[in-house]
Amino acid sequence: MQLLNRPTAQRADAGVPNAVILATRDLTKTYGRGNQKFAAVRQVSLTLHRGEVLAFLGPNGAGKTTTIKMIAGLVRPDRGQVTIAGEDPHRYARALRNIGAVLEGNRNLYWRLTPEENLEYFGVLRQVPRKVAHRRGLELLDRFGLLDKRDTPVQKLSRGMQQKVAIAVALIHDPQLLLLGEPALGLDVEAGETVKALVREIAQEGRAILLTTHQLDVAEALSDRVAIIRRGQIIAEQSTEALLQAFSDSAYHIEVEGSLAPAQHRQVTRLGAIVEGRHITYAGTAENLYALFAVLQPLPILSVQRDRADLTQVFLKLVKDT
Amino acid sequence: MIDLLHVELKRTWIQFIRYPAEVIAGLIITTSVFYGLFLSARYMTGPGFAFGDRLDAVVVGYVLWSLNLYIINDIAIGLQSEAETGTLEQVFLSPWGSPRIFFARAVASLALRFTLIMGVVLILMAISGSRLSFPPALLLPFLTLVMAGYGFAFIMGACALVFKRVQQILGIFQFLLLFLLAAPFEEATGIMQYLRFLLPMIPSTGLLRDLMARDLALDWGTFGLAFLNGLSLGRNIGEKTWFP
Repeated sequence: MQLLNRPTAQRADAGVPNAVILATRDLTKTYGRGNQKFAAVRQVSLTLHRGEVLAFLGPNGAGKTTTIKMIAGLVRPDRGQVTIAGEDPHRYARALRNIGAVLEGNRNLYWRLTPEENLEYFGVLRQVPRKVAHRRGLELLDRFGLLDKRDTPVQKLSRGMQQKVAIAVALIHDPQLLLLGEPALGLDVEAGETVKALVREIAQEGRAILLTTHQLDVAEALSDRVAIIRRGQIIAEQSTEALLQAFSDSAYHIEVEGSLAPAQHRQVTRLGAIVEGRHITYAGTAENLYALFAVLQPLPILSVQRDRADLTQVFLKLVKDT
Repeated sequence: MIDLLHVELKRTWIQFIRYPAEVIAGLIITTSVFYGLFLSARYMTGPGFAFGDRLDAVVVGYVLWSLNLYIINDIAIGLQSEAETGTLEQVFLSPWGSPRIFFARAVASLALRFTLIMGVVLILMAISGSRLSFPPALLLPFLTLVMAGYGFAFIMGACALVFKRVQQILGIFQFLLLFLLAAPFEEATGIMQYLRFLLPMIPSTGLLRDLMARDLALDWGTFGLAFLNGLSLGRNIGEKTWFP
């Protein structure tokens, strides 16, 4: 494959809020020949804006990795197009400067090198001048709280630290798109939360993040939008909140302190709620909810919760039903 | 490109030197295997036998075998382990393009291995009493040998990526390589004196033995064939590096 380097004018709009950083159109990839031919990815179209986190989810073998590799210019699509900040990575090597990647399943680092050495090396690999790469590397280590570990070989760092170094390496050339695979896999709770906070921070800086993970709680916590792929095709793509809403029912669960008086019980039942001891389940309108609260006075309300599906339930339902 | 070369040299050196025990063990094993072979040969011939330039030829063959083994391990096993740790994908994500990066890596690994092999040569000369010549003309067949060696290493590396596990094949292959590089094919007769030009690295090895052990002048005709031999193996890397 021959790639060209060329300056481009289209990159200018990447600084605009909500600018499209990643756009794929009808990406298609088929492997094998004859009877063994199978379509790994079929007409996948995705759009990712500046500052947005898109969780790209799917069961094993659904086509996530092939799609990511086509986006990164590592696998050439049979059909369709990828543009990153307006440039096609399959035609222009320069487009690769807009991609940072921590790909799934490993740390993408040289284990014998220290974080500082890894950052300088990968910076130059991304065509950042060596001195600039060194300076930026130290800044990133400082920001990620790893400056005191700058001279420790990566293999002697904890898994959480290694993950932070890998993310720092992916950011060394200041890319606009970050491909992030399993950012919290194998991390303890504290390290997982730290990495999640970092991901949020990176998105807030205005980078677009394409997140792939099987940890759906992580996807739910980090993503603005969700795209689910199954057997090579996108079966759902919408905002995380809208998707969760669509799969949530409208019941409220209210817990009160003490018991309801008989009159209160009657009124609550008349409003359509079900009383079970201190727990009340109400599936009516939001307006009547306030009428229900009025009836409950002066009993202290301990909690009010609305039934809400989580991403795991949504994912399993979509993947099984379609 | 200078920056790329700089960081590749630095990375190669750091990865090599970070655990000095490995370096020392490698040197000891390389030289002691030769010393074992040398003692066995002397035992078979008896103490009064003079090896003459045959000893020098064996030293040259052994040193070139060690160098090629280093190169093949650096590239083939290196590619496989990088595929496992994910750094290989990062290489392919580089705007430099993989041919330039692998060229820089080849230069860096050669610089390191060449330095190391010079140390091995001096130790072998000291323990065996061999006296090798180092005429400037040896750089030409050395270059063709290295071209062929890297070409071969990248082919093995490609096999490592496709077939995943090649360590066992590489383990057996090193004995085949020892046979190819240590046996004096340049003195072969019959059909083998022609076929040897088709075997990987053999014409260059023969020329190096002529120059370093037998004190002969460079045979330009043989060098032309050695160049073609090196080019046929190394051309993919060369073409893609210089004419991307």
